[in-house]
This record gives sequence, C-alpha cells and structure tokens, in this order.
Amino acid sequence: MNHILTILIFFPALAGLMGFLVDKKSIKPYVVSITLIELFISLYLWYGFNSAEIGMQFVEQANLIEAFGVQYLIGIDGISLFLVILSTFMTLIGVVSISDDTEDLRELLLTILFLEMTMVGVFVVLDAILFYLFWELSLVPMLYIIGAWGGNKRVYASIKFFLYTFTGSIIMLVGMLYMAYLYYQASGTWSFSLLEWYRLQLPLDYQIWLFVAFFLGLAIKVPMFPFHTWLPYAHGQAPTVGSVILAAVLLKMGTYGFIRLSLPLYPDATVYFLTPIAILSLIMIIYTAMVAYAQKDLKQLVAYSSISHMGVIILGIFALNPEGITGSIFLMISHGIVSGALFLLVGVIYDRRHTKMIDEFGGLASVMPRYALIFGIMAMASVGLPLTIGFVGEFLSLVGFYKYSHIMGIIATGTVVVGAIYMLSAYKRTFFGKVVNSENSKLSDLNLREYLTLIPLTILVIVLGIYPKPILKPVDESVKAIISLMHQKAVTEEAKKIIPNIKIGEEARK
Amino acid sequence: MNFDINLNINISNFIDTSTLLYIALFSPIVGSLIAGIYGASPKRIGIGIIVSSLIFLSFLASAGLFLHLYFGGSIVNVRMMDWISAGDLSVPFGFVADQVSVTMMLVVTLVSTIVHIYSIGYMEKDKGFNRFFSYLSAFVFSMMFLVMSDNFLGLFIGWEGVGLCSWLLIGFWYERESATWAANEAFIMNRIADLGMLIGIFLIYWHFGTLQYDEVFAKVNSIPVDIISMIAIFLFIGAMGKSAQFPLHTWLADAMEGPTPVSALIHAATMVTAGVYLVIRANEIFALVPEVGYFIASLGAFVALFAATMALVNRDIKRVIAYSTLSQLGYMFVAGGLGAYWIALFHLVTHAFFKALLFLGAGNVMHAMEDELNIMKMGGLRKVMLGTALLMLIASVALSGIYPFAGFFSKDKILEVAFDTHNYILWGTLWLTAGLTAFYSFRIVMLVFFGSARYKDFGIHPHEAHGFMLWAMTPLAVLAIVAGLFEHQFIDFVTKILPVYNFSEGIHEIIGQLVMVTTAIAVTGITIAVLSNMFKEGLFTNTFKSNFIYKLLDNQYYIPKIYDEVFSKPYRELSELFWKSVDLKIVDATVDGIANCILSTGENTRGMQSGNLSIMLRLMVIGITVLLISAILYSYADSILTLLQGVLN
Repeated sequence: MNHILTILIFFPALAGLMGFLVDKKSIKPYVVSITLIELFISLYLWYGFNSAEIGMQFVEQANLIEAFGVQYLIGIDGISLFLVILSTFMTLIGVVSISDDTEDLRELLLTILFLEMTMVGVFVVLDAILFYLFWELSLVPMLYIIGAWGGNKRVYASIKFFLYTFTGSIIMLVGMLYMAYLYYQASGTWSFSLLEWYRLQLPLDYQIWLFVAFFLGLAIKVPMFPFHTWLPYAHGQAPTVGSVILAAVLLKMGTYGFIRLSLPLYPDATVYFLTPIAILSLIMIIYTAMVAYAQKDLKQLVAYSSISHMGVIILGIFALNPEGITGSIFLMISHGIVSGALFLLVGVIYDRRHTKMIDEFGGLASVMPRYALIFGIMAMASVGLPLTIGFVGEFLSLVGFYKYSHIMGIIATGTVVVGAIYMLSAYKRTFFGKVVNSENSKLSDLNLREYLTLIPLTILVIVLGIYPKPILKPVDESVKAIISLMHQKAVTEEAKKIIPNIKIGEEARK
Repeated sequence: MNFDINLNINISNFIDTSTLLYIALFSPIVGSLIAGIYGASPKRIGIGIIVSSLIFLSFLASAGLFLHLYFGGSIVNVRMMDWISAGDLSVPFGFVADQVSVTMMLVVTLVSTIVHIYSIGYMEKDKGFNRFFSYLSAFVFSMMFLVMSDNFLGLFIGWEGVGLCSWLLIGFWYERESATWAANEAFIMNRIADLGMLIGIFLIYWHFGTLQYDEVFAKVNSIPVDIISMIAIFLFIGAMGKSAQFPLHTWLADAMEGPTPVSALIHAATMVTAGVYLVIRANEIFALVPEVGYFIASLGAFVALFAATMALVNRDIKRVIAYSTLSQLGYMFVAGGLGAYWIALFHLVTHAFFKALLFLGAGNVMHAMEDELNIMKMGGLRKVMLGTALLMLIASVALSGIYPFAGFFSKDKILEVAFDTHNYILWGTLWLTAGLTAFYSFRIVMLVFFGSARYKDFGIHPHEAHGFMLWAMTPLAVLAIVAGLFEHQFIDFVTKILPVYNFSEGIHEIIGQLVMVTTAIAVTGITIAVLSNMFKEGLFTNTFKSNFIYKLLDNQYYIPKIYDEVFSKPYRELSELFWKSVDLKIVDATVDGIANCILSTGENTRGMQSGNLSIMLRLMVIGITVLLISAILYSYADSILTLLQGVLN
C-alpha cells in the first residue's frame, strides 16, 4: 500500500468517469458503493497511521515541473487524517441522503464524486501549487451543485459563491508565488513544498504581507466576518446534499489552511495579528449568533450558526497552544458532523412541506417524535452540551484561548449563551406547542433512507462525546509538532513568549 | 462496638465498594434508557415499576457506601477511563464517594425513589408516562454524576446534564406555550451562569494545571489570593444560576410549569441545591477568601428575605413553595458564605426532606382540585384529604422551624452562626425571614385545608390521592420530624472532611435566648396566619390589595417585566437590526457594491474599445504619459520630498 493516498485522491474521480457508463437505474448503488469503498480506504489509513511518529506519513513524492520545484508531494499527519475521514464519511452520508427521484440524478452523483476528489486532495497535498489547484477545483463542482440543483435564486447564489471565494484565493496564489520567490532567494532553488517552506525563517515585515495575502483567501473560505455574506445565500439556495458537504467539509478547508499554512509559515505575523483576528472571531461568534436568532428560515438559521461556530474554531487556532488548536480541530470534526446532520434534518422537513420557514411549523414533536428526538440531540450537540461531541472541541478551544486574554475569553465563552438562545428558541417554535397548521398534522416520521443517514451521525455525536480520545490523541501529537516548529522559527520576542516551547518526540519522553 | 466492626467487614466482604459506586451511579441511566425505548409508546405501568426499582437499587448502593464510610471505611475513589486529554489538560471520568458526596447521594436517591413511586400514581393518566420516567431517571443520573465526580469538569457534565433534564421536564407538557417558554428561560438563564462557571474552570486549569479536586485543593495555598478570589467569584456565579440566587432567580418560579413531582425532586430537593453543594465541595477555595464568602452570605440573606416577601402574597400554591425554596437556599448560602459548611449541608439535607414532602403534598392537592393552583379557590380540604393535610402540616411545621422538627435544628444553627460571627444585620434579616416563612407556610395550610370549602363554587369534586402515594411520602414525613435529632452523628460524619465550625465561647451562654427569640417569631408568624384566616379568609382585603407594596410583591418586584424590557426585547430587536440593517444592508451591500462597481466600470469603459484608431492612439499617449510621470515621481520621490520641504520651510 505504497500509493494509498494517491488512490484515495483519484479513486472517486476515476470511478466518477466510469459512472457515465453505468445504467441510470443502478447509478445510486454504484456511487454509494464507491463512496463506501473510499471511506474504508480512509479508515484503513487510520489503521495504518502511527500516532507516535512525528511528521508526515504515507508520503509520496514525484517531480511535476522540476524547473520551478513544483512537486507531487502528498502525506498526512494526525490533523489531515481526520479531516480526510470526515470528507469521505460526510460524502457517503450526503450521497445516501439523495432521493432517487432527483432530477439528473446521475450528473449530481458524479459531480459529488469529483468534489470528493478535490476535498481529499486539499487535505493531503503538501505542495502549495497542488494545494491551490485542489482548493480552486473544489469550487467547480460546488458551483454546479448550487447552480443546477439549487432553489429559485440559485444562479445569483452560485456566482456569488464562486467569484467571492475565487477572488480570495487568487490573492492567496500571489502570496504563494512570492513565498516561492523568497525561498528561491534564500536557498537558490525553487520549491513549493510546504515542508521546505517550513524551514524558512522570514523577517516580520515580510511575514506580515504574506500573512495578509493568505489570510484573505482563507478567511473568505471559512468564512470570517465580514467576508461571510456569501454563505447564507449559498446555503439558502443549495440542495440539501450541497449544504451538507459545504458546511461539513468545504468550510474546514479554510481553517485547515490556517493551521497548515499561516501558522507554521508565519509565526510572528500570526502573533502580530492575534488581537485583530481574535476580535473578528468574537464578532463572528456573538454577532452571527444574534443574526441567527433573527432568522425566519430554518436553513438560514443553521447557516448563520455555522458561522458562529467557525468563530470558535478560529479562536481555538489562534490560542496558539495545544489545548486550543487540538480543540479547534476536534471542533472542525464535530461541527462537520453536527452541522451536516442539522442540514440533513432541515432537508427532511423541506422534502415534506417544501418550506423552511419556522413559522409554518410548530408542534412537530407530537407528529414526528423520532425526528424531534434526533433534531433535539443535534441541537444539544450544537449548543455544546457535555457528553455530546460539541462540548469537547468547544471547551478545549475556549480554555486554550482564555489563556491569551481574560476579557476576550469571557466574551468568547458567551457562545454558550447566545448559541443556546437561537437553538432553543428555534427548537421551541418548530417542535413545541400545538399543531396549528393542518398541513403539519399528517406528516410522516423519518423513513429508511433518512434513518440510514441520521443514525450513524447520532451515534457518532454521542460516542465521540463520551470517548473523544481516539481522535484527540493523534491530533494532539501533530499539533504539538506544529507549535514546537512555530516556537523554534519565531524571530520576535513576543512570538517566542506567546507560543509555548513544547517538547515533542524523544525529548518529551525523557 | 463489636457490632460496628462486624458490619464494616461485612460490607467490604459482601461487595466491592467500587462496584457499589458504579451501581449507584449507573442504575438510574439504565432505567432511563429502558423507559426511553418505550418513550413514544403508550403507558406501561411496568416501566414505572422497573425504573423506580432501579432508582431504589441506586439508593441501596448509596446506603451501602454510606455504611462503609460511617463505620470508618476509606474514601472510595475510582477512575473509570480518560475523557478529554489535549496538551497538558487531562480529565478522566473519575468518581469519588466521600462523606460529602455520600450524604448528597443518599438524599438524592432517597428523594428520587419516593418521587418515582409517587409519580406512578401522579402521572397515571398522562400519555407521556414512559417519556416522563425516562427524563426523570436521566435527571437522577446527571445529579449523581454531579455529586460523585472527582473533578470540576465532571461536575460540569452533571451540572449541564441536570440543566438539560430540567429543560425537558419543565417543558414536559410541550404543547403548552407557557411550559416551553419557562423551559427555555430556565435553560438560558442557567447558561448565563454556566458562563461564569466555565471561566472559573478555565482559571483553575491555567493556575493549577489540573481539574482534580484533591490536586487543586492541595495547592490552594501556593496560588495568589486575588486569583483565588476570582475563581471563587466565577464559581459562585455558576452556583447562582443553578440555585436561582438573585438576579438569576426568575426561572425557578416559572419552572413550576413542570409536573409537580419534578418540582419536588428537581426544583426543591436536589438540582437547585447544586450551587450550595459546589460551595461546600470547593470549601478549600472559598475559605481562603472571606470577603467573597461574606458577599455570598449577604446575597443569601437578601434572597431569603426577598423571596419570602414574594411568597407572602402569591395565590399559586406551587409558586409560594418555589419562593420558599429560594428563600431557604438563601439560608444555606448564608451558612456556606460564613464558613459553616457542614451547617449548610445539614440544612440542605433537612430542607430536601420537608420541601419535597411539601411539594408532593401540593401535587396531591392539585390532583384533587383538577389542576387548579389558586389557593383562594380551595379551603376545607382536610375533610376530603386528611392524609395529605397531615403530611403537609408536618412539612410546614418543619419548614417553620418548630422544635423538634428537622427544620428547627438546621435553621437555628444558621442563625447562631450569623450571630456568632457578629453579622447582626444578617442575623436580623434571617430572623425576620423566619417569621415570614412561618406565616406563608401556614397561610397555605389554612387556605387549603381549613375554612369554608370555596371549591364548591367552582364545581370541583376533590378526592384523596392513591394510598400508595401517601405511603411513599411517609418516609419523608418521618425524616422531616426526626432528621434533626441526628445532628451530632451528622457532624461527626461530615466533619471528617469538612472543616468544623467552632462557635465562640460567648455564644453558649446566650444560645438559649437566641433559640427562644427565633422560635417566638416563628410562632408569631404561625399565629397571625392561623388567626387571620379564622376571622377573615384570604387575609388580604381589597383595600390592602390596592396597596403599592402588595402590588409590588404580587408582581415579583416587577423583575420579570424589567428583564423582558431590558434584556429579552432589546436582544430580539438588536438581532433583527443586525440581520436586516447591518448584515444585509451594510456588509453584504458592500460586497455587492464592489462587484457592481467593477461591472459598471467595465460597462462604461467598453466605449473606449471602439476600434477607432485615432482615439485609441490618443488614449495610448495619455496612458504612457501617466506611466512615465509616475515612474519619474517614484524614482525621484526622495529628492522631490526634500525639495518640497525646502519650499515649505
């Protein structure tokens, strides 16, 4: 299994091409089995992963453009491992959730397979050009999913999504090119390998400009306030499967980019921009939670709540200590599962009533008790109740960030209040009370297809909430490696002070 | 003594103590899951019986642990498995059964068992019978988790767990708007307090490097006092939410929307005392910062009086008892704040017995009255429900603090502590409150059970509750009478780990007078209540009702209204504003504006690309000139600047 990562990236796309030959009736079983195989391959990766080992594993390397040092360099550490598994898992869930009578079913499913390739690609490549390639490629299938299978304003939403994120990434590309140029000046050879770049120590003023360029690309993707307005449109118009994958995986590319690129490449600039970014995150947490509270459309509410939670993830990352960063990565995974589930749940009710307006519902708990139960569990996970998956990451992110600032820590922890306000009030308005709208009185509870998607998610929410260790441990090791690298690289006193000096590997064991 | 030693050996030999601990902790959740499986199906009486037996099993296991400790056994501490570990943080699922937690476990499981059995009768006609038992047992599990955890984050699991179950149970009748509203209010208000609690936990972690109780308490003396006081303050904010202390108290009265057994178990005997438990548990921290303790005590005394005044005029039987709970929690915080931790725990225990009894009695009355809560519509009920009347009378006497009932011993101790520490204002407040307590307790008893049968005007046909419900309540009644007599055994038991409170020498001489004075005001309160109801039912005449003070009390000092105006409404309006004006009109409009700007630039400049050679050439020349000038300016920028400076100077 020397080329397992290559297989993992390209298997879905190749299978997707083959899919054009598959009969229309059997296309869904075909795609489901492809994504299932893909999930098993990624789980095999976990099985073969050695969490005691520092550095990248399953590394593959080949030259692409030798003159400019563009390489086919892929590998994973504890951080990317779980994001890969999240991608393959949520793709499978998304594919299963698609109903058989969707229009142009074959095209939709094959687009998703192509999307899966780009997602896995982003998380495993270690070459900046390749990273950019997969990063941009992921926009295309999403553009189609929203633009072709979306709601009434789908064209506006998809173009907005595409142009906005594209603009950001172009700026990031300029940053990458300049970074490669700096590397060339320092070492005499061209390279886009992140592993090589990690070794480059830059003066603060260079770091600042590069950090800003990367930041724009990443922040729009996350999306951070004030670059977030494309997201509600995209979610509002996207079909359920699009929203699930967008919220569960695509947004995580941005936060993953911060950990993989910005932090280790520019430790001093990271510390330099810590306070402004923290303030943006605080606005994200509180302000978008309040906007979520004002929503009348259930799906928009979940979309805004996504942004609010991404704010906690950003804060955890910029805590710059292992507690915070490990927590933020765990929160990425838990948010992927929970927000994915919430979008599926909104889809369930939309399929039945063809509306997402909260006021249309009420009293659903008596009509659809099992639906209400699963929605309740997910709502509580979103609120961050202990022993659900949502608490672990949120707690670690906040405890990590609290070390940096007392006041901002308190404001950030306000997420436990504002999150509860919008979630509980939405739950109350949707599920409690009497059934006033007669159309709601005969709704059927969950069907088999919906159970197949929601039950695994529910199990994960509880199991990982009680026993998060299998994920936390490998992630923590890799995070410590990154922080240790940052501390060594940092050139300013302030950065040395804020980024803890962590011993890893042999040293730690002494 | 031989007997003691034998028993000790017997328990340890008979069953492993850690097994006992696991049985005590996990049998409620097993019951909850069993009931949960049948959650949506029609009532099965068997579910109620199985679940109640499992809670009883938990009680037996707790009792086993109690005996083990009582006869000198060592503290049981188990680590089940790791939970969260990242960076230097490592939190296990660890549980401890020491003198304090075992006391809490006994109270929780005993009251829970009774409430479960009682509920089989109380909820017999409810279509959510199975669901109810599932929630109720889940609550017991969370509460046990809360008191048994050996670290702050484990406590927080239980803390949030009881919050969730409280939300589910307050909003149990989810079709009622008022119930679900109250459920959300309780959850959100508790979350505000949890924010403080979390900050306290963060502070502990970053200053102690651990969240385990024993490790934290071992290090408290090496941490600066200002940090300790911050920790104490933030932990206490957490306690204020769960124990409904002012200003986070409004949810408790509204929580009475839940079924009455829930009020008895969660909102009287157990969950609301979690805050007091936290102060007792973290006494090593609170003991170091007497100023914070003094604040806690003052707030406690204030709440005691404040809540008691609201109880005076309310006409809703459950709300009166809820305010009374609030008031009694205030007493506990006075004791805890003044450093008399064992006394706080003692009052917590006795209060759990008589207050649960009072609520269950109120449940019987409600059932008899076809869910009518207004005490003005009752009266003379002792004729139809003598058993309930007797039980509630016992509870009320205990609550009023009349010798030799349980409330007398614990409440009197708190007053003695206040007097002993020279906090005469606190003492005076509590003394006055004792009188008010006696008054409102007997006001209820009189209006409900004595006087003329006003319910007949409303066409209600009351009936006594099932016999087994009354029998289930009897242990509580017995305890409400005799629990106080075990004061010395209680002191010996809990002060093995809690600090002993040493009364000063002088207090012993006047203790007799103090007791007399306190009993006097309690008796006065009772007498006024009884006499006034004999002559004039309802006590409050119409002229009195138009009085400003009456209105103020009747409207709960207008606090719910103020909260609505100051917090809820502005929050909603601000949210709307953020969405409609800021997000759509500013942030998003800017993005679209930039996009439109680029688009219109393209549209407008399209005319230039007309292909007309002379125009194109002219434009090219202009472009080149601009480029050249900027190139020159850029290269000679420095010299131009000096030139300009020269000119200006």
